[in-house]
Amino acid sequence: MAENLPFDEMYNPDGSVREPYRALAQWLEEQPDKALTLMQSDAEAIFRKLGITFAVYGSEEGTEKVIPFDVIPRIIAAQEWRRLSKGIEQRVKALNAFLYDIYHRQEILKAGRIPEKLILQNEAFCPEMMGLEPARGIYAHIIGVDIVRVGPDEFYVLEDNLRTPSGVSYMLEDREAMMILAPDLFQRQKVAPVENYPENLRRTLESVAPANASASPNIVVLTPGIYNSAYFEHSFLADQMGATLCEGPDLFVDGGKVYMRTTTGPERVDVIYRRIDDDYLDPLTFNPGSMLGVPGLFDAYRAGNVTLVNAPGTGIADDKAVYTYVPEIIEFYLGEKALLQNVPTYNCTDEEQRNWVLANIGDLVVKEVHGSGGYGMMVGPTSTKAMHAEFRKKIEARPDNYIVQPTLALSTCPTYINAGITPRHVDLRPYVLIGDEVRITPGGLTRVALKKGSLVVNSSQGGGTKDTWVLED
Amino acid sequence: MRISIEHQLSVTPPAGTAHAVLQLMLTPISGPSQTVESWSVEMPGIGNAARFADAYGNSVHLVNQARPEGTLLVTVRGAVTTTDRHGVLGRVGGEPVAALYKRVTALTRAPVTLYGKFRSSKDNRIDVLHALMARVGETLRAVEATGQTQSQMSADGSQSQSQGSAPADAARPAASASDLAHAFIGSCRALDIPARYVTGYLAPGGADDEDGLSGFHAWAEAYDDRLGWIGFDPTLQLCPTDRHVRLAAGLDGLSATPLRIVPAGDGVAIQEANVSIV
Repeated sequence: MAENLPFDEMYNPDGSVREPYRALAQWLEEQPDKALTLMQSDAEAIFRKLGITFAVYGSEEGTEKVIPFDVIPRIIAAQEWRRLSKGIEQRVKALNAFLYDIYHRQEILKAGRIPEKLILQNEAFCPEMMGLEPARGIYAHIIGVDIVRVGPDEFYVLEDNLRTPSGVSYMLEDREAMMILAPDLFQRQKVAPVENYPENLRRTLESVAPANASASPNIVVLTPGIYNSAYFEHSFLADQMGATLCEGPDLFVDGGKVYMRTTTGPERVDVIYRRIDDDYLDPLTFNPGSMLGVPGLFDAYRAGNVTLVNAPGTGIADDKAVYTYVPEIIEFYLGEKALLQNVPTYNCTDEEQRNWVLANIGDLVVKEVHGSGGYGMMVGPTSTKAMHAEFRKKIEARPDNYIVQPTLALSTCPTYINAGITPRHVDLRPYVLIGDEVRITPGGLTRVALKKGSLVVNSSQGGGTKDTWVLED
Repeated sequence: MRISIEHQLSVTPPAGTAHAVLQLMLTPISGPSQTVESWSVEMPGIGNAARFADAYGNSVHLVNQARPEGTLLVTVRGAVTTTDRHGVLGRVGGEPVAALYKRVTALTRAPVTLYGKFRSSKDNRIDVLHALMARVGETLRAVEATGQTQSQMSADGSQSQSQGSAPADAARPAASASDLAHAFIGSCRALDIPARYVTGYLAPGGADDEDGLSGFHAWAEAYDDRLGWIGFDPTLQLCPTDRHVRLAAGLDGLSATPLRIVPAGDGVAIQEANVSIV
């Protein structure tokens, strides 16, 4: 059975402790009884005080919840991280080159490396972006790459998030909480800092200000408002980087430039870190019914008077159907082999592959092409027969609407549950900033599936988080 | 041919609007088939407008107006010299790649009955396009004559009343120039031929405007790898001549809308364009 066990990041199969976890293992041993239980309750108090909450859509019990936090950190060795971050950097550079090409000459389509239809008929492709020259040629400035580990040297990219990836505030608060809860643990080894993320975010945003902006560009965070599940994060990030948090009605366009209404009169805005979806950004160009956006905003962007971060239309690069072509994309633009692997993905529009998928659905993971946040997906091994039948029907009805992947044995990390330490599956979302340079925060957000055996780590589906440590040499 | 154009549009934002934002796609650009001699767009706030080129290469004004009162009047005046090139525009620098215009939009879904028979055609692309233009004309006109309407063809609502077709019998909506262009474009795209929607002005045909179609108009352009962009006017059943003044192009009537406003209020009334040959 040993070979079927998922890779545990702390313990070798023989029970010995893996190198990066040695200091932690010793520390855990030294803790008196109940110490972790106390830590866990302290952690909850800290998070309530910090006010880190999220909303679950469709949930009846109040809008705000505290995301579960596990007190045992997840640890990544320095050389493991070097490899990972190189692969991530390669990936985000290629994806930005792809976006530039797709919205200009479309060489990759002319070369036949990606089917033309997949891009041109894709809902996520934004024709309004054609020919636009974003500052520094960058479309996706903030990317969260979801990575899973299945072995000591085996990492897979599950998906690239190039629209408005969330969760970075949890990464920052998890670290802050951990430093309050176990300050002595940080003295036993060198952990790479994450707290410079807001400063790096600010630098990145300043570096992509439009050419006609002032020397110290005015940056705002544009939120859909308090009912958005990530509102806390929007206000947190604005606060941390010293930017103004605003909603659509706070901004207006005059003479092709964007201004913010302030008590001392209109103030020009240069860079907008927007957490509003493309479709709601500007009722004049996109969804005419949008009350969240700013009329004329896209035209001001087109006129080169403001930078939108991320650019509209970046979703074409993290589309689940385009995902399968990322290794091809890396080769085409960088002339390099992909350093990080994609999860093998079955194409249900191919009859042979579809038949195989339908016969083996109980072992597979099915995802909706345009779904996110763990909604609209099915994990075969943990689903009922009725669910299998339902998804078979769905795939048969709309084969192009689903991608199917093998169920990966996600790595496990020790997790404190019911007064005991027990392994739980984890994933990793490192956060990447792309502006004048590529800045990758060491580590990222580790999400942990708190239910025994569960592989779904999304906070909306009962997942928690852990502080993620990258050790320094 | 030198064509003089005067075009008025009016729009009424809802009472109490604090800030109206308008997008005007009402400025032609010089190209292979036309030279813009003079052009002006006038409306309140135009002096402060932002000018830019949109994704399709059109010249656009972004105008904003604080506390607009009553109706906003937009007046467009100018003169354009046109050349008859039998519709052939070729390849123009700075335009997006032609393949973009294979994207099917809600307005450009054509029924297979229109284009099905051309799927396996061995004819060259130009012949196919001419035959397709005839087929679109026949089919939509037949629909018109029998009083049937096909939802795909009249799905563009506000556009169809305004774009220069002959006045329609209320009970029997005629296929407008816009409907015909959309049907032609949708058919082209279904045949994997890039095609785009074009707005513009049509000068009177002859001294007394025999076809009665002069004014604001809509037609299509399809792409041929050898000749580049070629115009097709399914309303007139010919390739654009020197009667046609090109104003803007887009994926469909929506992306080439001449005037857009937020907040919308009662909608936009496009008054009859006055087009004359100088």
